[in-house]
This record gives sequence, C-alpha cells and structure tokens, in this order.
Amino acid sequence: MRKDWALVATGFVLLAIGHGLGLFFVPPEAMMGETGRIFYVHVPTAWNCLVMFLIAFVCAVMVLWSGHPKWDARTTGYVEVGTLYNVMLLFQGSIWARPTWGVYWTWDPRLTTAAVMAVTFAGVMVLRKLIEDPERRATAHAVATVVAFVNVPVVYMSVKWWRTLHQDMSSPSTVDSVMHWPLRTAAIGMLLLGVGFAMVRAELERRRIAIEDEAPELPPVPNPLEV
Amino acid sequence: MNQLRWMLYKDLLIEWRGRARVAALSTFAVTLLLLFSFAVGPDTDALRTHAPAYLWLSVLTASTLLLTHGFKLEVESGAMEGLLLLPVSPRAIFYGKAIANMVLLLAVGVVALLVTLVLFDVTPRENPIWLLLILVLGTAGVSAPGTLYAGLTARLHAAQMVLPVLLFPLVVPCMVAAVRATSLVLGGDAMGQLDSWLWVLGCFDAIYWSLCGVLFGKVIG
Amino acid sequence: MDGMVVGGWEYVWAAYGLSWMALVGYTASLWLRGKDT
Repeated sequence: MRKDWALVATGFVLLAIGHGLGLFFVPPEAMMGETGRIFYVHVPTAWNCLVMFLIAFVCAVMVLWSGHPKWDARTTGYVEVGTLYNVMLLFQGSIWARPTWGVYWTWDPRLTTAAVMAVTFAGVMVLRKLIEDPERRATAHAVATVVAFVNVPVVYMSVKWWRTLHQDMSSPSTVDSVMHWPLRTAAIGMLLLGVGFAMVRAELERRRIAIEDEAPELPPVPNPLEV
Repeated sequence: MNQLRWMLYKDLLIEWRGRARVAALSTFAVTLLLLFSFAVGPDTDALRTHAPAYLWLSVLTASTLLLTHGFKLEVESGAMEGLLLLPVSPRAIFYGKAIANMVLLLAVGVVALLVTLVLFDVTPRENPIWLLLILVLGTAGVSAPGTLYAGLTARLHAAQMVLPVLLFPLVVPCMVAAVRATSLVLGGDAMGQLDSWLWVLGCFDAIYWSLCGVLFGKVIG
Repeated sequence: MDGMVVGGWEYVWAAYGLSWMALVGYTASLWLRGKDT
C-alpha cells in the first residue's frame, strides 16, 4: 500500500508542475488565447483515461484466463479510475467548448464517444454491485469490461467516418515544442496518479472480499462450572 | 455445426410454440411508434425526417423484453443446468440463442418498419430492398451482445433493469449506423454514403458475433 | 490577432479547479475507505 500511495503523491507533484508550467510559464495559444491552457489538463486526462481502460481490459482478460482473485481486484481499480478520468474529461471538454465553439455540448463524434464510454463503464460498475457470489461477480465484471473496452475503438473509428468539429488528436508533431513540457509532465503525472489510485483501490477491494469470505467466529462455549 | 442446428431448432421451436409473444412484442413496438408520433405532434416534416430514429428506438426497446425473456424459461425451470449437462458446446448454445433472437427481432423490425412507413408518411427514395438488409444487419448487431448480456444477467433479480444499462451504450455505433443508413434509403442518397454505413454495420456485427461467442462460455459456466 | 479568443481565464480556472477537486476528492475517499477496512 505504501508504494501505491507514494505513486499517488509523485503523480500529484508532477501534475502540479505540469499544470503550473502550462498555466503560468507558457505563452497563450495562437487561436484560442488563454482558454488554450485547458489543453494541459484535458489532453492528459483523455490519454490516461484510455490507458486506464486498456489496463482494465488486460486485467479482465487475466481474470477470465487465470482466475486469480488479484486480477479481479485490479480490474475493479482500473475501471473505477478510468471512469473517474472519463467523467473529468467530459466536463473539461464541455467547459472548453463554451468559449471556443459557443456551446457546452454538441453532437460531435468525439464528445459522444466519450459520453458513451462513461455510461458503458458506469454500467460495468453497477453490474459489479448487483452480483453477490464472488466468483460469478468476477467473471461477469470481467466479461462486461472486455466487451466495453472492445467497444472503445469501434466507437472511436466512427470519428473517421463522421465529420467532426473536434480537433485532430494531438501528437508531438502537431504540438509546438514549447508546449511539450507541461503536456508531458502532466500526462506522466496523471499516469502515475491513475496507477497509484487503481492499485490502492484494488487493495481495498481485495481486503473487502477477504472480509466477506471470512466466516463469523462462533460464540464461546459457556463453562458449566461457572454458570 | 450439428449442435448449432439442434440448438437453433430448440430455440425457434420454443418461440414458435409461443408465437403470441412475437405478436405481443410487435404490438409493443408499434405502440412506441405511436407514442413518438403523438409526442412530436402534427409536424409532418419532423416526423418524416426522424422516422428512422423512432423505428430503431422502438426495435431496440422491444429487444430488451425479448432478450430477458429468452433466458427466463431456462432459468426458471432449471433447464439451464440440463443444457449444460448435455455434451453441447457453450458456443453452440450461444449462436443458437443469438440467431433465434435475431430472427424474432427481425420479425418485429419488419412489422415496425411497415408501420413506420405508413404512420410517418415516408416512401423510400432508394431501392427498398436496402431497408431489409439494414434491418438484418441492425438486428444482428443488437442480438449478439444482447444474448451475451441476457445470459449474464439472467439469474439476477434486477435483470430487466441491468440489461438495458449494459446493452444500450454498447450498441450505440450500431444504432447510429442503422439510423443513418435507413435515413439515406428513405430520404435519398445523393452522395453515395450508404455503402460506408453498411460497412460500419457489417464490421460491428463481425466483431461482436465472434467476441460474444467466445465469452459466452465463461458466462453460463 | 485575427480570430483569437479573448480572455477566458474563468473557463481555465473552472476546468482546472473542478479537475483538481475531483482528484483530491477521490484521494480522500480512498483514504477514508482504507481506514474502515
């Protein structure tokens, strides 16, 4: 656990540095002015959201493949963190949309797929809450995670089919070199933060399941000589 | 392959014996279409433009009832355990169920389509045969993940609540493609976009029919 | 500059602020849940 909380702490520090650079040391963006700074919180969130769900997918496959309970705990952790980042990216994107496009929401493939993703994984979390038997729960949760994740590229591919208002995916080649540093620092920060969170959550889940499984202690047998 | 045929035969036979259920589902879908029509009001242009959306929403909603019902019989009478004891591979069980579900959903879809054409006053500008293909691809896209999730949630008390929560976000790309494609056939496809949407549906179906078959074994084990 | 969006610091603060609140809030919830088990 100590290791995982250390990851969280490191993540926060890097994120603070990245955001600090992005907010105060980098010049405003050419077209978007000061609002362009949302880039340094939004893009790392979006990237890491996908990374968290990818890791959740791998863990889910391991649940189905090996059945070792640690994979079930990890899947739970990464799904939860991924959903957290997903919700964050939706409201960041929406806030950013207001000054740049004039509306908080629009029927845009990228926004829509992010919303669909959030609802899908929220459904996976709901499913977990509803199944009591730990083995069936682990399997059902893993199956739902696998299917949900496979859906992510399917929905994302639709970006290629539809015209979109959203900017093209940022990659180092499209980003001015000055912006590299805050972006990379923030992205790595959120990655460490996400992994740290997920592992802490996984440990909590593991403990919770262990407690569930423990049979209650029998009451002590009364001594007939003392009664 | 033989196993699949027997599974399919079993499921279709069950449904044929209870074919009143298909009639009930079709009535449900038609009722939804009527509701949409009332909710939108007498604006004939709006109704015509959005008719494909109402059609597919009705089909999707009807599918929830169809899918949860499909496993209810097996779970209630303990037939699930009986099925698993037979030397039948889970994959055959899945594909049998999924195809049966698709056939039934297709039947409901055809009824809903006919009612849509009349109720919303639309005549297809492109060849109406495309509509049938879209119905086949669209219902296939709903039945594969739907059957998997129905199996997964069958034993839960809250099955009917959880199935839509799981299924609907998943079939969004399929729904959008189906609605777009239908809309192009009904409204005219000046720029030749119909093929792209059919490809999207085809790919979606290919991915989910293979993936869900593989996963089903884990679900009912 | 033509076409540049003027101002907008309030949006920037809103986006960053809400994000940090979410992250700190989640950290707190994990910490508290950890104390229970």
